Amino acid sequence: MAKAELKTNKKTEIEDSSSLKGTLASVFFLGIFLVVTWLSVYFLFLDRF
Amino acid sequence: MSSQTTKLKVDPRDGKLAMAHFYVAFIALTLGGLMGLLQTLVRSGKFELPWGIDYYQILTVHGVLMGLVLTTFFIMGFQYAAISRTAGTHSPAARRIGWIGFWVMTVGTIMAATMVLLKEASVLYTFYAPLKAHWIFYLGMTFVVIGSWLDGAAQIMTYARWRRENPGKPSPLLSFMAIINTVMWIVASLGVAATVLFQLLPWSLGLVDTVDVLVSRTLFWYFGHPLVYFWLLPAYMCWYAIIPKIIGGKIFSDSLARLSFILFLLFSIPVGFHHQLTEPGIDPAWKFLQVILTFMVIIPSLMTAFSLFATFERFGRSKGATGLFGWFKVLPWKDARFTVPFIGMASFIPAGAGGIINASNQMNQVVHNTIWVTGHFHLTAATSVVLTFFGITFWLVPHLTGRVLTKAMNKLAIIQGWVWFIGMAFMSGAMHFQGLLGGPRRSAYSTYGDSAQAMEWIPYQIAQAVGGSILFLGIILMIIIFVNLAFFAPKGEEEFPVGEAENLDEKAPMIFENWKLWLGITAALILFAYTIPFIDMIQNAPPGSPGFKTWGSW
Ligand code: HEM
Ligand SMILES: [Cu+2]
Repeated sequence: MAKAELKTNKKTEIEDSSSLKGTLASVFFLGIFLVVTWLSVYFLFLDRF
Repeated sequence: MSSQTTKLKVDPRDGKLAMAHFYVAFIALTLGGLMGLLQTLVRSGKFELPWGIDYYQILTVHGVLMGLVLTTFFIMGFQYAAISRTAGTHSPAARRIGWIGFWVMTVGTIMAATMVLLKEASVLYTFYAPLKAHWIFYLGMTFVVIGSWLDGAAQIMTYARWRRENPGKPSPLLSFMAIINTVMWIVASLGVAATVLFQLLPWSLGLVDTVDVLVSRTLFWYFGHPLVYFWLLPAYMCWYAIIPKIIGGKIFSDSLARLSFILFLLFSIPVGFHHQLTEPGIDPAWKFLQVILTFMVIIPSLMTAFSLFATFERFGRSKGATGLFGWFKVLPWKDARFTVPFIGMASFIPAGAGGIINASNQMNQVVHNTIWVTGHFHLTAATSVVLTFFGITFWLVPHLTGRVLTKAMNKLAIIQGWVWFIGMAFMSGAMHFQGLLGGPRRSAYSTYGDSAQAMEWIPYQIAQAVGGSILFLGIILMIIIFVNLAFFAPKGEEEFPVGEAENLDEKAPMIFENWKLWLGITAALILFAYTIPFIDMIQNAPPGSPGFKTWGSW
């Protein structure tokens, strides 16, 4: 059972309270959203003009 | 940081002036909201205005009250209170100037409103030439601008006193931000003052027969873009410097917040051509330059997004949240002071995305003058900004009137925020889609001779009326809350939350307070972006235009 113990320790103890992983992920999502909306209107433009 | 020199409470004498501004702002919200509802009903095709009232008249009332009066009065009241709280009570002289400013703005508003009601000024809130209004309308608008300068002067005086008394120290963050916004407003409103004083007033008085349309529109948009940032920056003040305190967290970085405000000052003004991309008479090279400068604003916007996410995540993790998004769940969703502005922040994501599309030259041709644009600024101004202003109201009004936000009102406030969100999702969403199908903005109901294209728009117009009705319910709820907080809520002490930076040793660099430097760069960018095209416009001006009155009289 030594293996399982090692695992749980890792998950809870190492997560640093100053981590900004979620922030990084959030700004990536934001960036992707901006690109997707921009491209969709851009293709609408190409389609029309 | 700043707290040793300041009081925790806004002085009641300053509170009175701030409240005077809020009374006008909320009266504007009530009347303007009613007009908004009527607009959506008319555009649905199911309703006609009674008593000969004309669509463009109510649209002018709506635009002026919501876009100019509600915003300017709320912002000046809020900034005046925020400076009093963080840089110290205003001096009697500053307070007197503030009161004069308030009354000048109010008288100006009444003058302009009277002319619109008399059907002498259905020129919409942008008063674009060659539509011609009665001169009293333009004079009233001039008073609003001059009054706002006086209000701004009061704020600058108190900021300057703080700087004198605290040499070598960075000013309190909220005061610094308020002053950036005031300075930007003053520099920007010089443009609208110029077109009104030198072009529109003499023309409406009959002293000159014609007006140079392109010059007046250019001066208007020199003002018009920073106008929208003038609305937005007070919301950013709340997001950066107040929300962290409300949730029990810290400001991610004081210096980053200041830097982003400085970037907004620099890049909000030399960009007005992005509203004139379809306008002939401006060399495309200069439009290109101003579009590039426009895109620079994305930098401080993304800095803001990053630092808000970071504040939330740090707070959540300090509460023991784990995983990539665990922090999101532990935010204080039951606190209206947080939740309602948060809905505003979230709305800024689609709002900002739409803005990048608008400013992109080719795509501007897809959306220009369509109702998409109206959908866009009902997300930016009428959701992000307005919901944040409501969120501020929930604690600032009771703070100033010596009352408290009760549990019941807090609950109603959260409901209010969601009602607004749902109404706007319908209205603004439908406006965006109808705009992509070519539906025009600023137009009453018409089937355009039953053309197939116009028929496609009708379901979206009905969706807008549904959304508009829900939004109007939101306005009624907000008025109930405001009246309660101003007059009826139980007496007590409501906190004016002011955030602290996470790292107190990180002192903001003093270069941020070097106004000669920032005003110099601001002026240089403006001159760079505008001098040559402006000379070109004047030298190659077409014949001026006489005035037009496209609406009937009473
Ligand atoms: C009950 C809530 C609201 C409703 C139902 C509503 C509805 C509308 C509609 C239908 C239009 C466009 C009509 C057209 O282009 O023909 C409009 C325009 C406008 N709205 Fe609103 N709105 C509401 C709230 C607000 C708020 C809170 C603000 C500002 C903070 C605002 C600012 C404006 C402005 C500036 C215009 C442009 C007027 C023009 O094009 O001249 N609205 N509104
Ligand atoms: Cu703009």
